[in-house]
Amino acid sequence: MKSRWLIAAWLVVLVAYALPPAAAQQVVVIKAWTIGPDNPSVTRFNNLQTAAERLNADLRREGAGVQVKVEGFFDTTNWDSYLRRVLLASQTGDAPDIMQGNASLAATWSTAGFVISLDERIPGFPQFKDVVPALWDAARYKGKIWGIPQDTEARPLYFNKTLLRKLGWTDPQIAELPGRISSGEFTWDDVLATAREAVQKRVVDAGKGYYHRPLNGPDFVQWYRSFGGRDYDAASGKLVFNKAAALRYFQFLRTGVEQGVIERDRLNNDWNRFHQPISDGKVLFWSGGTWNWAEWAQQWVNDRGGEDYLFANFGYAPHPAYRKGGKPITLSNPQAYFVSAASKNKDLALRLLAYTTVPDLDAKHAVGSAHLPVLRATARLVNNRFLKEVSYLLNYTTFAPAHPDLSKWQDAVFRGVSAVESGQATPEQAVDLVAGEMQRTIRDQIIVE
Amino acid sequence: MIGRGSIGGGGGFGRGRDSPSPSERYAAPVVFLLPATILIVLFFMLPVVTTIGLSMTDISTLTFRQPKWVGLENYRDLLGDPSVGRIMVNTARYVVFTLLFNVGMGLMLALLSTSIPARYGNQFRAVWLLPRILPAVVYVLIWQGLTREAPFGLVSDVTGISRNWITAAPWSTIILANGLVGASFGMLIFTSAIRAIPQELFYASAVDGATTLQTMRRVVLPLLRWPILFVTAYQTLSLLTSFEYILLLTGGGPGFYTTTVWALHAYNLALSNYFGNVQFGLGAAMAAVLVVIGIVVSLLYLRVFNFRALVSEPKVEVN
Repeated sequence: MKSRWLIAAWLVVLVAYALPPAAAQQVVVIKAWTIGPDNPSVTRFNNLQTAAERLNADLRREGAGVQVKVEGFFDTTNWDSYLRRVLLASQTGDAPDIMQGNASLAATWSTAGFVISLDERIPGFPQFKDVVPALWDAARYKGKIWGIPQDTEARPLYFNKTLLRKLGWTDPQIAELPGRISSGEFTWDDVLATAREAVQKRVVDAGKGYYHRPLNGPDFVQWYRSFGGRDYDAASGKLVFNKAAALRYFQFLRTGVEQGVIERDRLNNDWNRFHQPISDGKVLFWSGGTWNWAEWAQQWVNDRGGEDYLFANFGYAPHPAYRKGGKPITLSNPQAYFVSAASKNKDLALRLLAYTTVPDLDAKHAVGSAHLPVLRATARLVNNRFLKEVSYLLNYTTFAPAHPDLSKWQDAVFRGVSAVESGQATPEQAVDLVAGEMQRTIRDQIIVE
Repeated sequence: MIGRGSIGGGGGFGRGRDSPSPSERYAAPVVFLLPATILIVLFFMLPVVTTIGLSMTDISTLTFRQPKWVGLENYRDLLGDPSVGRIMVNTARYVVFTLLFNVGMGLMLALLSTSIPARYGNQFRAVWLLPRILPAVVYVLIWQGLTREAPFGLVSDVTGISRNWITAAPWSTIILANGLVGASFGMLIFTSAIRAIPQELFYASAVDGATTLQTMRRVVLPLLRWPILFVTAYQTLSLLTSFEYILLLTGGGPGFYTTTVWALHAYNLALSNYFGNVQFGLGAAMAAVLVVIGIVVSLLYLRVFNFRALVSEPKVEVN
């Protein structure tokens, strides 16, 4: 009797091992590396995880026998270390399936062979049809699309309304300022003159009339362009450095420093020295990004009323032209998700990205991080005052040129700015310095005019 | 087996054997030298050869998969860069001043802490070790906190002059921050060397009527010559290749290469770029130049400190 029970138990165990479990699913890990570095942009990673849940539900319905698990990280350190990590991983064949980065990295990463072109795969996903067309162009290089747009933004010239009031401006005058900049009536010279007056009347401390970012970055292209410069020659596909425009830009910076409007050590490598005085209401004009708005609201003025404090004190406009009647400007540096060449699950990775490119997740990221959405449907969906008020800036927006040597161009211009601002070179010397460096490093891919 | 044979070879003379064969004669030295030789080849010679090899290619983010041989082009580019002179001067300034601070401070700390009762001396030295055991990033964060504008920075608050002291006095900050960490290294080496000086020498100098200063000048310092050579040479080579505190404190600025040293520039070219396109080849060329400078400086030290005399057998045996 006993032995019969024992045999039955053994049979049950054997059958259990022999038969595949009913719900057995192969779990595919999709590795995704993302970066802010601003904290509020964490939805660049979280949205992928939410999308994976939805994708898994559909995969179960389809009976595909596959489930997706998103692993990876959201980097809040800096671009420098993030890109180094991507670089080293890609070179050792350890790259994740999905990498997020500036859309303009399409040129560098595709030339280096880190990422794959997506043109043939994109039509298979209806989600991508609603993406703002200009954003595809930002991720295009040599006629091919290399990334899926993730978000975009604009880089406004912010101003402190309270300080302008202290300077004697009336509320209607302050409200008119963005319009005057847009129409080309209020130029960089006027920014400088107003800031100088504020310093002279002690409305702001010396050096706090105008602030720009404290380290290298995409914005310098924007400022150079606002002084009439062009950086790309579409006919030859080469980068361009216009000495006259650069001289105007460098002279503006030098004058600003000499007049006590701009700090001599503005390029000080310290973001805290940017955000702290601005959020304390001590800076009159400054160049920032729309995403800074979310950073200030959540991290810097949260105890003073958050966004309400910002609306009460800060205003925003495009960056002005350098001459009356000129066109204002802003720069968008759209982000994109790239599928790495090393990925073993390219189709699944792209499908995950399609599930991420949907209005509710797009809106969640846009509102949470003060970036602008990539889908036209989202723009209609979002009811957010700041995003609505800055979205017109996209009328003046430009993108960084797609060229693999862009980084050398940008490094050289940055070097010129640092030389001029610190007083180590005159604007004329700095222009020659930049032109020389570009000719030395970019060689036949640069036109100096 | 080889070792036994060679050792046995020594005893072989006693048994009336002829002079040992070359293989027997060199077996023992080879065996003893082999581990160190392997390490030196693996971790010094090979990286140097690789670096020099890389420096002759155009390898970068873009060309990583198909780098081209460009010969001395990277070196020509370096010579053509007008900022290289400035970076070289910065490097010399950084190494010399930090070294003076390091070694001088280390020596002073060692002399001071050994001239007081050991109990207090040990505690004193323990405090000076704190910066060394702190991670560089945390250490620099503390410096950034100290040097901010008022009301955030301690230095601004105490002096009543509100400024960012890192950008106002970048070199002083870098040398001080680096020197305070480096001083503890010299302090430890010098302390142990001072402790090793036989007590009789101090008694003798006291009997001769030497003052404390004279004892230090005539007895202690001459006996510290070897550790001073070691600390100076070691710290010079470390400083030539170190840049982490500069990177974290000033990033090479403020302004135009103000505090950029050779190693930092090489790092920026070879491994760090805001836009993700790095120039391994050019960075390797800079690193190769640094290797040459390091070797030249080492040879110079050996000459100046008369290395041969230092490693010769002692004339007086002290037990």
